[in-house]
Amino acid sequence: MSGIALSPAALSPVIPNRIRKLRPKASLHAQQAFTSDPYVLELAETLEESLPSSPSTPLPLHNLRHASSEALLSTPWPSRRHEPFRFTDLSFIRQSRILPVHLPPAVYAGALSALSSPSLLQRVSQLLSQFHHHDIFWSINGIAAPDLTLIYVPENCHVDNPIHLHYTPPHATTPTPNTMHLSNPRVLVIVEKGAHVQITEEFSNENQNHPYWTNAAFEAVIGEAANLTHSYIQTQSFRAAHIKWTSVRQESSSTYKLTEVSSGGKVGRHNLHIQQLGPHTVTELSTLHLSVGDQTQDLHSSLVLDHPRGYSRQLHKCIVTHSQGQAVFDGNIKVNRYAQQTDAGQLTRSLLLEPRATVNVKPNLQIVADDVKCSHGAAISDLEQSQLLYFQARGIDINTARRVLIFAFGGEVIDKFPNSSIRDKVRSQIKTLLDPSSDSSSL
Amino acid sequence: MALTLPTHSSPTVIPLRRTPKPTLRRANHRVCVASGGAPLLQVNDLRAKIVESNVEILHGVNLTVNQGEVHAIMGKNGSGKSTFAKVLVGHPDYEVTGGSVVFKGENLLEMEPEERSLAGLFMSFQSPVEIPGVSNDEFLVMAYNARRKKLGLPELGPLECFSYLMEKLELVNMKPDFLNRNVNEGFSGGERKRNEILQLAVLGADLAILDEIDSGLDVDALRDVSNAVNRILTPEKSLLMITHYRRILDLLNPTHVHVMDKGKIARTGDISMVEAIEADGYETVST
Repeated sequence: MSGIALSPAALSPVIPNRIRKLRPKASLHAQQAFTSDPYVLELAETLEESLPSSPSTPLPLHNLRHASSEALLSTPWPSRRHEPFRFTDLSFIRQSRILPVHLPPAVYAGALSALSSPSLLQRVSQLLSQFHHHDIFWSINGIAAPDLTLIYVPENCHVDNPIHLHYTPPHATTPTPNTMHLSNPRVLVIVEKGAHVQITEEFSNENQNHPYWTNAAFEAVIGEAANLTHSYIQTQSFRAAHIKWTSVRQESSSTYKLTEVSSGGKVGRHNLHIQQLGPHTVTELSTLHLSVGDQTQDLHSSLVLDHPRGYSRQLHKCIVTHSQGQAVFDGNIKVNRYAQQTDAGQLTRSLLLEPRATVNVKPNLQIVADDVKCSHGAAISDLEQSQLLYFQARGIDINTARRVLIFAFGGEVIDKFPNSSIRDKVRSQIKTLLDPSSDSSSL
Repeated sequence: MALTLPTHSSPTVIPLRRTPKPTLRRANHRVCVASGGAPLLQVNDLRAKIVESNVEILHGVNLTVNQGEVHAIMGKNGSGKSTFAKVLVGHPDYEVTGGSVVFKGENLLEMEPEERSLAGLFMSFQSPVEIPGVSNDEFLVMAYNARRKKLGLPELGPLECFSYLMEKLELVNMKPDFLNRNVNEGFSGGERKRNEILQLAVLGADLAILDEIDSGLDVDALRDVSNAVNRILTPEKSLLMITHYRRILDLLNPTHVHVMDKGKIARTGDISMVEAIEADGYETVST
């Protein structure tokens, strides 16, 4: 998976605040005559330059960099002539152009507690106070979150590398059967005017049968004409409770695109709230929920449009393949009085593949404005008979046809992940869940 | 190529693949195969109803198609032409209530739709369904491999299939990006029909049933489709087309023309019967 990985549970800032140049470039070159490898020197310089400059680099980090820089001055790039690399050829690295992966210097990604800039702190307080919709889980997270992971993207800054937030469940085993570890990770994303960023949240599992409770909250403020592309993947343990808040505020002409695939948890509940703060916003929500066992996948979404000419598309799909599996969807879109010329579309489709598999869907549009274009639809079905026949009529057996069609149904959402490595990963996860016996590469 | 052969006169099963006389075949394959080919499809007094409404649509269809023959079925809207084709491929909307269908010596009605396909029966759908999320090449590779498996050949990976698919794509005069699109999704009427013929080209068939392959096609597309069909069908292969129009008959030269009326084959003749239909409508030939 490419991009910049952060672990919000650990809450450690990946990007230090300030790195002072260790030594002037001239001095690097001065010692070059000794035993320096020009390739290594150039690489060291590139890396030093790529780090943001800040006057307050913590002393241990400063010392680490200093010592490493000294060492690199007299270290050549390893070749096959060096005994430790006699059988390991690294020349292809050397032949490539090396680009450091990092966030642009003014971007902050790390713990709020490590943030030292008073102006940024003030900005955070101002924006945080504007989030108002609460339920019990929001508040539980609020009192229990040990810190807040902040991703701050300043005005007009385009972050090219996606930022990947990986949430790993607690490793500790529970002492007695009826106990659960609870974690409350919380993330705040601020995308200032004209900025662009891609964020992936991945909630994974270590053990399919581990009971724990993840109670996560994610808030984002998207400034004028800014763009946030959000990917969310949930594959937690089948005995876990996964409760998640996503709350987004969108300024005028901003774009928010969410793609979610959730297949884990005994209970997976996603509360998604989007508030429009100005005209011309674009909101695209695509979610796929999969219940392959005795589990409930629940999406409660609300999108509030208060300003003219907003555009929104919501696609919710769920697949329930177990007689005790359940999917729940409550999708509310409010088109209020001043939200004239809004173009809002909502579609929910559910595939129930076992007798007694359940889905409860409540798509609803509340329209107060009178000049709007809104559509919504809901369909609950088994696979299309005509599609199955088409496969069979070409000699493909019905089980293969069903497998391909079920996967294609979910594929429409998976295809919306902006990052191909995530698409591939999620595709193979979903294939395995839908057909555990299959080798996922054979399809 | 004027032949009038009573086509429902031989319901007995003749051993499969009786080779026609080679000398005659060289002279004119269509004519000689038509007179000497082994029966491929024998339909006897076939009756079928719509499952949902219980309405009987086919009231006793009789038809025999021998190896190498080209048959055309014409008839008014609602006469049962498409129902007949769908019943032959095993469409679940219809239930057979009587009669028999023998294909290559076996009881076709006992086979699942995929078994019918693997046995060598192909039908081009009149309105092929869209399959979002499944790409055309993925679908073709799957179908082609199902065929190879049936023949005891190793299945091929997508890359190994590629050159084979490209060759077939050229046959229907389509661009390679056709393969990347989802099956029939957003296809124009003409593209859907070409896609059906592409599938026929990839899979091959002993009997291809083309259900109104010519409807919605412009002149160029019709020529492409007909050329492709003529190149796909070797002299041993048979063709059964359902159409309303003369143009495709001129391009594919049927040896037998049938007129269907009220769920039965009402008349069988040769291409000359088409002129009468064009001039005076179905009434003159049906009654």
